[in-house]
Amino acid sequence: MAADTDHWVFYFDPNRCIGCHACTVSCKQYHGRGSDADDWRTVTHHEEGTYPDVNDVPISMSCMHCHDAPCEKVCPTNAIEKRESDGIVTIDREKCIGCKYCGWACPFGAPTYGDEGLMSKCNMCLGQGPGAGADADSTAKHKQDGQAAVQPNCVSDCVGGAIKAGPQSEVIREASEAAANRFKSDNGRVIVEPFAEGSAAVDSTGSSDIITPFNAGD
Amino acid sequence: MSKGLRDRASLTRRTLLKAGGAAAGAAALGGCLSSSEDGEDQVSGEVLTAFGNCWMCSHNCGQKAYVREDSSGKKTVVNLTGVDGHPRGSAGEGTEGTLCPKGLGQLDKTHDPKRIQEPHIRKNGELQKVEWEEAFQYTAERLATFKEENGSETFLDATSWAETSIFSTVWRELYGTPERISRGIHVCAGPTFVSGGMMGVGSNNRVPDYQNSEYIIAWGRNQLNSFAGQFEAKGTLEAIEKNGATLVTIDPQHTITAEKSDKWLPIKPRTDGALALAMANVIIEEDRYDEDFVENYTHGFDAYAEAAADMPPERAADITGLDAEDIRKVARGFAEAAPQAGISVWTGTAQVGNGWKATQNITALNGLVGNIDRPGGLRLWKYASTASFGEVCEQDYTNRAEFKEPAINKYDEYSDYPVRHITGIAHNLVPEMVENGHINGIVVHHDDPLKDGNADAWVEALDAMDLVLSIDAYWNGVSRNADIVLPEATQLEKDTLGTGNWSAYPKHTWVTGSKAAVDPQWNTKPDFDILVGIADAMAEETGNDDWTVFEQWDTHEDFIDDELSAIDLTLEDIDSGEVNYELVDEFEYESWEGDDHYTFNFDLDQVPPFAQAAEEADMDTAPEWIPPGTYGDELSEDYPLEFYDVRSVFFSHASNQPQERLRDQFAKRNELADEDYRGNYLHINPEDADKRGISSGDMVTVESETGSGELMAVVSERARPGFVTAEYGFGETSATPDGEGMNTMTLHHKQMDPITGQVDRHIAVEVTSSGGD
Ligand code: SF4
Ligand code: SF4
Ligand code: SF4
Ligand code: SF4
Repeated sequence: MAADTDHWVFYFDPNRCIGCHACTVSCKQYHGRGSDADDWRTVTHHEEGTYPDVNDVPISMSCMHCHDAPCEKVCPTNAIEKRESDGIVTIDREKCIGCKYCGWACPFGAPTYGDEGLMSKCNMCLGQGPGAGADADSTAKHKQDGQAAVQPNCVSDCVGGAIKAGPQSEVIREASEAAANRFKSDNGRVIVEPFAEGSAAVDSTGSSDIITPFNAGD
Repeated sequence: MSKGLRDRASLTRRTLLKAGGAAAGAAALGGCLSSSEDGEDQVSGEVLTAFGNCWMCSHNCGQKAYVREDSSGKKTVVNLTGVDGHPRGSAGEGTEGTLCPKGLGQLDKTHDPKRIQEPHIRKNGELQKVEWEEAFQYTAERLATFKEENGSETFLDATSWAETSIFSTVWRELYGTPERISRGIHVCAGPTFVSGGMMGVGSNNRVPDYQNSEYIIAWGRNQLNSFAGQFEAKGTLEAIEKNGATLVTIDPQHTITAEKSDKWLPIKPRTDGALALAMANVIIEEDRYDEDFVENYTHGFDAYAEAAADMPPERAADITGLDAEDIRKVARGFAEAAPQAGISVWTGTAQVGNGWKATQNITALNGLVGNIDRPGGLRLWKYASTASFGEVCEQDYTNRAEFKEPAINKYDEYSDYPVRHITGIAHNLVPEMVENGHINGIVVHHDDPLKDGNADAWVEALDAMDLVLSIDAYWNGVSRNADIVLPEATQLEKDTLGTGNWSAYPKHTWVTGSKAAVDPQWNTKPDFDILVGIADAMAEETGNDDWTVFEQWDTHEDFIDDELSAIDLTLEDIDSGEVNYELVDEFEYESWEGDDHYTFNFDLDQVPPFAQAAEEADMDTAPEWIPPGTYGDELSEDYPLEFYDVRSVFFSHASNQPQERLRDQFAKRNELADEDYRGNYLHINPEDADKRGISSGDMVTVESETGSGELMAVVSERARPGFVTAEYGFGETSATPDGEGMNTMTLHHKQMDPITGQVDRHIAVEVTSSGGD
């Protein structure tokens, strides 16, 4: 069994996210998801204040393939699996009964149910299918195409360079200390950079006033 | 089959059926889905890679296309991503290349069944499908008749940017019309481009050397969310991270660039000229300017200093609604960082009646602090010098437009329009010229002039024309009303070549190119083949050998290779390696140093056509402050709100509005995805909305003195009180088939910058709730 440190995690830098939605479009296109299907990667914009003291912070989110995977724990049919090999959290839709427990348990609202009422979510660009569970190709995209680690689609198309993905030990090396510490104290779900001092987001009304899925529980 | 497989198969089928265009992506799902029993999901096949370079907004970001070839040899684009290190799509060497959402939309566009699939000609009032041969022959007949009846000089060339340079050859030199409107100076940013040229920094005065900058002013620009080459956003982020650069945004609206800025100046619309002069006032008063540069390389400083002296920050504060201390702070910061200080400026300060002076005053700041062609400042960008058409053409032919004067210069009817001295024609005046019989026909390529100003009059004008020729990929206001419709292949279906200038490589000229990644879809043709088809038919129709000029090239690739011969490259060279660009030559900074002839003009008194135009427009040749309303709309009791139309990161010039995935994200960005509506949105501040009983998601009517339209409201604190905006390119005449949303230019009449004729998109309006849900 691979150690946690070899498990793939996401990294997000809100300072570099420019709210362009390229990540969402890229995910949709790669997985052939129609425009009206739920987004597996979602960009939300968090607006607050009164003109001209306004903040509008964009946040890009998907399933974080959490180390502790709360969704997996509540699934009554064991349809959700955290893969031992690389930590990717998959859903076997043959077992899914659409009870939505995982949606309640997930701190990021990642699971969606638009696909025939069954759970579907980001599969870290595993080969196939909405959940890429069961008989999915076990080779993740990042291990296909020869030697080099190929990034998940949303990562390689992120215009701002705000998202990274990779084995925890590698990604954490590129993160700031603050982000790494928070990751460790937060059950190892996602590595998120704190807002930089001096950006307008902090300047006027203060980013801590803005509730995003990443600081909702802080 | 197992339930798991059935799930995936049905998803694939559903997606195929639903979006059509999404079929491409559905194939990406597949890999080995060919085992499905009914055989409907045969998406197996080899995945090949190919290159492209994106022309969605014409700025050539490199594309890597993943193409699946099925057993019948049919190729489908299944994924699209960027090219690492690409001058336009990445932040430079060793950095990742990406595609912005508009650029990613190219995948859906390639296989979109809503595209025009066949050539059409109008017979008995109806557009009917015909074969290409008949379409070409008919085009030639109509062009010949048009010339006989109206004169070719009354045919308007409205061909937009193209992946080939032969457009101007066909219409100007061979057919013989001197009349041309295009994007660029006519409908994008006339004042920016033209003033830059006259002042001595060229039309690339809009793009600073981001990566090396320590102080970046995004002036009326949202470069983190309105990409013109993604290196702009990436370069700005890099300057902040690596140089600790200060980012200042000057914009009435709160944008993502304002969000990321150290300082946002929420300026009152149309007062940029006053702010720029006040900054000059501070810089001159406090002796913070580059005396050496001003002394040795500029002209007209005294007149400039005089205008600046009239605009102390306190006066500008009154005009702009900003704080005088903030103005001082930004002026000092900019001057201190200079020459590593750049101003990014484009359409925001240009699409205004007083845009000429705004841009002249802003551009003057560069000369003042001497950031001209210095690292981190304003770069005098250079192109790779490929061979021109004239150089590669082995045939002599007569340039038939050469001595023809454009109607606006020729006839007295237009003597009240100063623009006639500068740009030869103005977009807004075309309807009037049609009425006067000076324009009688039009060819439009990949554009929709009906959304670029004076919309209602343009619609009538199009109707009144004797010949409307449309070369396009989508049914829009022009193609639906044309006499001849020639369906154009889209970018991944054709060979492309881009020759660069500004980019993530500030010291290199470069080229980028790609061969077609897939065959032209349906019965469409690349624009090059369309033009050659027309030329060949014209040769036959007229018996004039000039029209055989393209026979020397068998294919577009041959033509491109000839163009590239000047720098010793072929399209194959560029397209076949790991990346699809080449850095060609290196060029240094400070190209003006030691050049006694280099002059940066603060005052344009020595540019005769401008001096003449300025005199007629009652304007000075030097920088000065011209208040809003002098040339454009004034707000009134009946029309108390100022309207301006803006761009969205999801769409480029209305050419990808039909993409459902993008329109859905657009609705999500506005938090109105639950509504069925997929048009543009009126952004309005709660203060203005409350007064009118408007909430987010309500349909509202926007009315100006000359027109009106209906669209959905987004009530947001990001909108400035008294200032409403909407994204352009929707509604009537657009390529969005269900017509939701509003053509913002139905509000517009003839307001323009008098010098360049640039459409003034600031319009006095009133907004009312349309009632209902
Ligand atoms: S983000 Fe949500 S769905 Fe994904 S692993 Fe964590 S709990 Fe599960
Ligand atoms: S990793 Fe792949 S599946 Fe997950 S959000 Fe990104 S693109 Fe979508
Ligand atoms: S692509 Fe990157 S920058 Fe753009 S919204 Fe997604 S995470 Fe943010
Ligand atoms: S900025 Fe976007 S739309 Fe423009 S060329 Fe680049 S990828 Fe295409």
